[in-house]
Amino acid sequence: MSFSERKFIMTKIFNSETRVPYIILTIVFIVSIYPFFYMIMTSLMTAGEAINQYVFPRTPIFENYLEVWTSNNFQKYTINSIIISSITVVGVLITSIPAAYSFARIEFPFKNLIFYLLLLSLMIPEIITLLPHLLIIRGEIIPLPFGSSWMNTLQGLTVPFMGNIFVIFLLRQYFKKIPNELWDAARLDGASHFYFLTRIVVPMSMPIIVTAGLFTFIIAWNSFAWPLLILTKEDWYPVTVSIYSFVREVGPNFHLLMAACLIAIAPILLLYFFTQRLFIESISNFGIKE
Amino acid sequence: MNNFLRKNSEKIVGYSLISPAVLLISLFGVFPVFFGMYMSVHKWKVFKGRFLGFENYERILGSIPAFFVFILGLLALILSYWIWSEYKDRYQFKQKIYVLISSLTILSIGIYLININWSIMVDKGDEDYLYALIYTLYYALFTIIFEIGLGLVIAFALYQKLAGKQFFQMILLFPYITPAVMGAAVFFLIFGKAETSFLNQFVGFFGIEPQLWLFDKRPITEVLFGVKIDGLFAGPSLALTSSIFYGIWSYTGYYAIILLAGLSIIPSDLYEAARVEGASRWQTFIKITIPLLMPIIFFLALTGFINTFQAFNSIFVMQTSSAGDTMDVVTIEIFDHFWGRVKYGYAAAEGVILFVLLNVLAISQYVIFRKKIHYD
Repeated sequence: MSFSERKFIMTKIFNSETRVPYIILTIVFIVSIYPFFYMIMTSLMTAGEAINQYVFPRTPIFENYLEVWTSNNFQKYTINSIIISSITVVGVLITSIPAAYSFARIEFPFKNLIFYLLLLSLMIPEIITLLPHLLIIRGEIIPLPFGSSWMNTLQGLTVPFMGNIFVIFLLRQYFKKIPNELWDAARLDGASHFYFLTRIVVPMSMPIIVTAGLFTFIIAWNSFAWPLLILTKEDWYPVTVSIYSFVREVGPNFHLLMAACLIAIAPILLLYFFTQRLFIESISNFGIKE
Repeated sequence: MNNFLRKNSEKIVGYSLISPAVLLISLFGVFPVFFGMYMSVHKWKVFKGRFLGFENYERILGSIPAFFVFILGLLALILSYWIWSEYKDRYQFKQKIYVLISSLTILSIGIYLININWSIMVDKGDEDYLYALIYTLYYALFTIIFEIGLGLVIAFALYQKLAGKQFFQMILLFPYITPAVMGAAVFFLIFGKAETSFLNQFVGFFGIEPQLWLFDKRPITEVLFGVKIDGLFAGPSLALTSSIFYGIWSYTGYYAIILLAGLSIIPSDLYEAARVEGASRWQTFIKITIPLLMPIIFFLALTGFINTFQAFNSIFVMQTSSAGDTMDVVTIEIFDHFWGRVKYGYAAAEGVILFVLLNVLAISQYVIFRKKIHYD
């Protein structure tokens, strides 16, 4: 890039039309990013530097991560979270894809009524549902398969969240856009709904399925009150609960807390990084469609 | 039999495909509301006890009639707004005065009912829960106003033709995808009470004394202006304000992205026409952009209220003992009752009340935005 070209770009960026937007966006950028910057920097400090909240560590200490990773079962909790979230995602997709397909493309009585009744359940605050969930999980309301009580179990952590009307809604919007001619052609060739769904609809809808999976993964990774409620033993503690107890007894170990947080956020950031374009797109669409 | 199957095969496939999801959602999404109502009229500590009727509600609200009249008062506020917005453009000047008078009368009756019954409720009922409602309202109002306001500003900035738009959009959603527990842990250190905490260093830069932030239970009005106000208008405590900052930080980018999407579907010839007619930028903004964005703003405000009334993880993590109960929003209060104190029936009743209030809120938002939702 020659000098004049560079100068041209600079003036283009900083002309009077765009100066204010750039200033705003720079501030937003700093505010959005700073907590992450703070977290990374603090996680590399010594205890003293972290407590005095220096901006940069004098020498970065990468052993902090190792110390957190190997202590207090943190490793196990992280793996627990990965298992819980992945199973939830698989469960949600297995129930939601057929349901969304059915709501989008098959005609049956009371279809819309059922769909909108389910959508209304989005209005129900989670805190109200927690308590009845707890009684269901204890097996006090209905008999449960796989053991009489699901307290302290993997199924207790995942099954209640496997039906998700929001995901069904997202997928349904997308499935509706698939042209009818495709279905007619497939029908002529003798294809069943099952064949059409698995061979044509799902491959065509990969972007939205990935986004829905990511949404579900983040929500499952986030879950906190529910595990706190049903886990009385540490076997299945997810990483959120362990971070919470770390915050409560952090004492002088700011640097270790931040290292733990960074490890706990990393999987989400990585996933986001690879799917961000799809993610932004579907958030934009969702907001408009409603 | 075979004939029946063949005839209805489409319906059978349809129902069987939705059945797993419908079963799970009705069991874990819909059924709990009704079961919560059932629990709330019983004495229920871990196991079901005797039937109580409305005793739990009586204890929380002080007096149930007062609560109903209080709700009536809220509805009166909405009614007065509805009358004004519906009839103000329809009549001549003289009749307009009648509309104004009747609207104002209903408004003052509403405020009067709310005021009187609220003090009855606080007098006799569960003060902690009722104050938790107020704290939740503070939290919701402040976060939503700032999220939508700042979101609009950011959306406008992004709407200009800029280099690196994609990049800024990606960064904007970072706070949104950060799990609340971890994000709150970081904010817990940033908003620390030590003189060396980041925020204290930062405000020190502007010559402001170090604050206790999350550890300060003084109301914000006292911190800012040094005046002591009691009751409703004191504002949130500094601790709650700090968690409001977290709420704003985590959601504003998400709001900006949705608002940006809304901006970009406004047809550009509308702006063109406005410019030809010599409208200023501000006029275009007020007369074209805002009305066309209204449906989206309504959607964001509605989901915003549902989300903020549910905010739990971040506040639960950032809670400190020296902030006392000034950070106990409704969700924390309910959770504390069934997790900490094992009062299931009582907590269920609190949940049902929250549900009723959320519905009143949704109705009122619908009335307020109703006219502005439709494009002209």
